[in-house]
Amino acid sequence: MKKLHLAATTALILAPLAASAETLSLYNWGDYINPAVLEAFTEETGIEVTLDSYGSNEEMLAKIQAGATGYDIVFPSVHMHDIMFQLGLLAKTHIGKAPGFENIDPQFVRAKTDPDAEYCLPYAWGNVGIVYNKALAGDIKSWADFFALGAEGKKITLLDDLRETIGIGLIVNGNSVNSTDPDEVEAAADYIIDHIAGVTAFTYDSVPQVISGDVAAAHWYVGANLYVSENPDTIGYIIPEEGATMYQEDICVLESAPNKEAAQKFLEFYLKPEIAAMNVEQQMNGTPNKPAQALIPEAIAANETIYPSQDVMDKLQIFEDLGRDLQLYNSEWTRIKTAQ
Amino acid sequence: MSLARRKFLQLLGLLGAPTVFLLVFFFGPLLIMLVYSFLTPGLYGGVDWIFSHLNYGRILGWADTRYEKFDPVYIAIFLRSLRLAALTVLASLLVCYPAAFWISRMRPGLRDFAIFLVTLPFFVSLIVRLFAWVLILRPTGFLNQGLMGLGLTDAPIEFLYTDFAVILGMTYVFIPFMFLPLYGSIEKLDMAQIEASSDLGATRLQTFRKVILPATMPGIVGGSVITFIPALGNFIVPSVLGGAKVLMIGNLIEQQFLSARNWPFGSALAMLVMTAVLVLLIAQFRLAGREERS
Repeated sequence: MKKLHLAATTALILAPLAASAETLSLYNWGDYINPAVLEAFTEETGIEVTLDSYGSNEEMLAKIQAGATGYDIVFPSVHMHDIMFQLGLLAKTHIGKAPGFENIDPQFVRAKTDPDAEYCLPYAWGNVGIVYNKALAGDIKSWADFFALGAEGKKITLLDDLRETIGIGLIVNGNSVNSTDPDEVEAAADYIIDHIAGVTAFTYDSVPQVISGDVAAAHWYVGANLYVSENPDTIGYIIPEEGATMYQEDICVLESAPNKEAAQKFLEFYLKPEIAAMNVEQQMNGTPNKPAQALIPEAIAANETIYPSQDVMDKLQIFEDLGRDLQLYNSEWTRIKTAQ
Repeated sequence: MSLARRKFLQLLGLLGAPTVFLLVFFFGPLLIMLVYSFLTPGLYGGVDWIFSHLNYGRILGWADTRYEKFDPVYIAIFLRSLRLAALTVLASLLVCYPAAFWISRMRPGLRDFAIFLVTLPFFVSLIVRLFAWVLILRPTGFLNQGLMGLGLTDAPIEFLYTDFAVILGMTYVFIPFMFLPLYGSIEKLDMAQIEASSDLGATRLQTFRKVILPATMPGIVGGSVITFIPALGNFIVPSVLGGAKVLMIGNLIEQQFLSARNWPFGSALAMLVMTAVLVLLIAQFRLAGREERS
């Protein structure tokens, strides 16, 4: 969900405390938590935090399945939360009963396998829309406008992610992004293939190219707002009118966690509104923590692409695990990638 | 201890370690891959131990189920990878052959420094170097700005996200692989033979074709093989410089193991690459053997 495709795994050791040898190991998406949150946690509890990063749910799952131990906490997307539960990789935390859980908006307790938040804590959410160069793309509003740029001979990029990209086709055709009907999936792939002319690349590294004007518009995450706030005259971010996908990650404790107690403390720490707000301030994404909304900077809270109106929210679709039917997307994805 | 027994033990001592090494690090993984390629994908990655020949059917033409369908696109991607890898070999040969000649004629101190320079890129992460190429090749990049500044072109030329960028990137990455074996055989070239050839009236071209080229052939073949093999399976260069639109077989295999969670199909594709590589290696040994005999 985050930008680092070729995830350089970095280990960040924060605020070493000579007195305490206790550590908490986080395994998170690249650039997906405000370092200040971790510092605040160390300050309050005396527990040192280490952070490793991954670039996709599958990469994280593959590592954990292959027996990577030493991590206490992971940040899977909701559908991966379900998968990890089914594989028996998650530990019970009873976070849903912890004091402060009433801060969490119940609509974000999404994982089907964890309806009472016995395992994981909803972490953050956002949508996947379009970041565009104002001079090149003009005032675009929809996926149709986005692909029209390509038809005009301007350059656009799509994410190198099979479900996100086929998802655009499904949304434009009015279908569910979790469709398991082979005809619908094929029609979605055909929509992308019919509009492939202007697609110059499938990539995650598109924002710098949108800023420089090499690309007119790019399929990208709500986190683009961070760059929009730095270059407000050059680029913009929209949620397309037809709808878009949304994502949500949860904070989960691993069954193999070496320090479950510290992990539990971290989950409870993250229930605090001021901590959730501190994270939003740097990440520019959505938090499920209701009282935190009042604490975040006005510019973020009032940004309709970060906190959309209910009408727009209703048009956002979240991915579910497709099980075997993922293979329908797999072969269509190869077809898209080889269409020129 | 009998002589035969001692010889046997000596041989065992000599060959034991490399044999174990090969078994563990070459045949072991290969065998796992072969077995996996005949199984059914596990729901969340991994494999289910149910026999299936459909992974090959998808590539070669007999699969037709809800999830496994034959598609000629896989063979097409494989052929494209072969072509891109072959062009990469050709391009690196064209760069390295004259360069190796030139460096081998330098005075020793300078020569060692030049060889050090050839291997220098290995000291920097591949990803960083490839992203540097993105900055060079993109429409507002250094190359296009240079060309437009010189008035050679009015509009930016499409370099990035093309076959050209992929071949350029792979050539850049694999130059040291090609250079070192080539340099090894060019350095050993006997100058007396070249002089004798021209003394006997051969033109420069004749000397090159009849004397220099045959003498350096082992380096050319060796360099080509160890460039071709990793180029064929490369997936980082097409992903970064090809914009994942110039899809190579390595990208397809990566997709099966990660986002698509289909290890058996990935294994079947990998076996296809392995077969191509083995055929190439056998051909090389045959060729080398024939040359030695003649």
